[in-house]
Amino acid sequence: MTVSARRRRTGLAAWGFALPFTLLFAVFLLVPVASSLYMAFTDMRGADLRTPWAVNFVGFANFAEALADPKFQQAAGNTLYFVGVAMPLTLALALLLAVLLNSGLVWFRSVFRVGFYAPVVTSIVAVAVVWRFLLQPDFGLVNSALGAVGVDGPRWLTDETWAMPALIVMATWRNVGYSMVILLAGLQGIPRDVYEASSIDGAGPVRQFWSVTVPLLRPTILFCAVITGIGYLQFFEEPFVMTQGGPLGATNSVAYEIFNQFGFGNYGLSAAMSYVLFVAIVILSYLQFRLLRTEK
Amino acid sequence: MNRTPRLVAAATASTLTLALALTGCGRSDEGGSGTADTSTALTDGPATGTVEVWAMGTEGELLPELAEQFEADNPDVTVNVTPVPWESSTEKINTAIATGEVPDVMQVGTTLMSGFVGLDGLAPTPEGIDPDAFFPGAWDTTVVDGTSYGVPWYVESRVLYYRTDLAEKAGVEAPQTWDDLTEFAAGLQDAGADEGIALQTRGNSTALMYLPFYWQAGGEIMNEDGEFTLDNEAQVKALEYYSSFMRDGLAPPVLVEEEKVQNFVDGRLGSFVSGPWERSNLLTTAGDDFAGKFDVVPLPSDETTASFIGGSNLAVLADAANPDAAWKFVQFATDPATQVDWFEISHDLPAAQAAWEDPALADDETVAVYEDVLSTARSTPAIPTWAEIEHEIDLVIEQVIAGDLSPQDAATRIQDAATSIGTGLD
Repeated sequence: MTVSARRRRTGLAAWGFALPFTLLFAVFLLVPVASSLYMAFTDMRGADLRTPWAVNFVGFANFAEALADPKFQQAAGNTLYFVGVAMPLTLALALLLAVLLNSGLVWFRSVFRVGFYAPVVTSIVAVAVVWRFLLQPDFGLVNSALGAVGVDGPRWLTDETWAMPALIVMATWRNVGYSMVILLAGLQGIPRDVYEASSIDGAGPVRQFWSVTVPLLRPTILFCAVITGIGYLQFFEEPFVMTQGGPLGATNSVAYEIFNQFGFGNYGLSAAMSYVLFVAIVILSYLQFRLLRTEK
Repeated sequence: MNRTPRLVAAATASTLTLALALTGCGRSDEGGSGTADTSTALTDGPATGTVEVWAMGTEGELLPELAEQFEADNPDVTVNVTPVPWESSTEKINTAIATGEVPDVMQVGTTLMSGFVGLDGLAPTPEGIDPDAFFPGAWDTTVVDGTSYGVPWYVESRVLYYRTDLAEKAGVEAPQTWDDLTEFAAGLQDAGADEGIALQTRGNSTALMYLPFYWQAGGEIMNEDGEFTLDNEAQVKALEYYSSFMRDGLAPPVLVEEEKVQNFVDGRLGSFVSGPWERSNLLTTAGDDFAGKFDVVPLPSDETTASFIGGSNLAVLADAANPDAAWKFVQFATDPATQVDWFEISHDLPAAQAAWEDPALADDETVAVYEDVLSTARSTPAIPTWAEIEHEIDLVIEQVIAGDLSPQDAATRIQDAATSIGTGLD
């Protein structure tokens, strides 16, 4: 057997091993991605489902229409507001909880770990029912508690100003457990002797946190920031189950608007909106990498 | 059934796009969809072969009972009923139509007709079926761009539910006119209710609660030429009237749908507008004794009488394998006598007007009120873009109620939105 024949056989075997994944990837990822890209540049509507090739190419018209649409602009503003507040809040809270759980200060550590992670794996439908009760204006727990200290709580989900903050708190509560668990794992990977060395050098807990924990945790924080950012830019479930995007569009998000437009059969327009969102995700992730990358 | 969530064929669309055969890009010059079809005529003699039927929700569960009767009348036929959940029905049917793997007969929510016709999925109704046998509003839902694509099966409409004990205490009679309704709501409130009436203030289907008032004021959504006629005095008047309840403190400024039934049962809400399904909701929540504490009456009239008509039609698919037996099944299911049987099985209100003369319906006080309501009830236009226009109207009504938009500006906004969205018919 010649060398080249053997090489060819090894090559074939490699392709054989790669084939199942390649096929699945092509059918279930590449085809939908390519077809949605195709849709974004055509005037395809719901009625064209049977004849998807019999549509006209319209260039960037769908993108122009999306960007000029006041509802889309409002949704984009809402999404930025949500990401801008909820992402730092989630990360800060997750880091705080992880440090507390890791410091040994807290007894029943595993109980807390399960408790904070439970919302991540709970169905949004069940969560929505509970949160609606909590936020109920007249007898909900939140407003009752506020009333006990003399504050007249707003009508959370139906108030234009307060609906979004309510959803931000809810989303943070739902997602903090995920980042917390990842950060906890990161914390446990920091060698103890680094802390010992720093305390010999006279560093207190706060100094240790900023000068040892945070720098060594940077790659983990970056990971959490990117994953959380991607998830939050696609903000959809909370407004879908809690507010239907209202009141007066105050909690309508880009992903929700895309969902609506698909429902109306405007496939071209909604595909274009999806790609606008995609670009936003790329930009946010890029900024996070720039900001949080480990210095050499 | 118009309460179906507007679900999406996004995933379907994207996978099908490339999966389907390449037939050349660019739209063909032949305008119009589904206009060239030849309708099959109804034939005589018994049905034979297999009829595949898709039905949704409760209807899907109960339909086999009716199918047995059809099989007894036609010994050589087998009916297979597949229940489909409402939530995934649009997506499933779109996929079926696009791939050609379709059933013979399908239940189609009245507001979903135009979408499936737009896909060339449904066969035109044959000559032998008499449109006049059905409530006119119900028949209208089968007609897309001048051609009928199905037969009305069951209907529902909106009425006013009110607390009889509160009305008695307040000394108010069931309202006949718009002014009556305002006084009625105020009276119920004086008699102890926190709010006299509840009207939907925001979210999906707000328009369906509002539009009967627009129709009552003399408004029409479209004229005979298929143009939108939404910016007019009737619109301003109806928006003004609808929002007056919230502004004057007779209705919750922001209605939380989930609390409506409980508030009504507790006597904190005097009346609300809803459909026939609400009766069983109320009795489940409050117990059967509650039946003596409430009643239903038609919505009040202004220039004219009107309510919203919903429900489902039965349609035969364009690619049906057994269209002959399929139409026979549809004819059987929409026959007045069968409709009475079906009412007894499912409590769905018959779409065939003759069925209402049967004592089963005529003597049932809880449903008799619907006959009058249904005879003047109207549907929203059967155009593929209606869901999007309805969404715009939902948003505008919310802004009028919030006081952010005057009824005049709102009427203009609705007309502009509808015109720019278009009818979706080529």
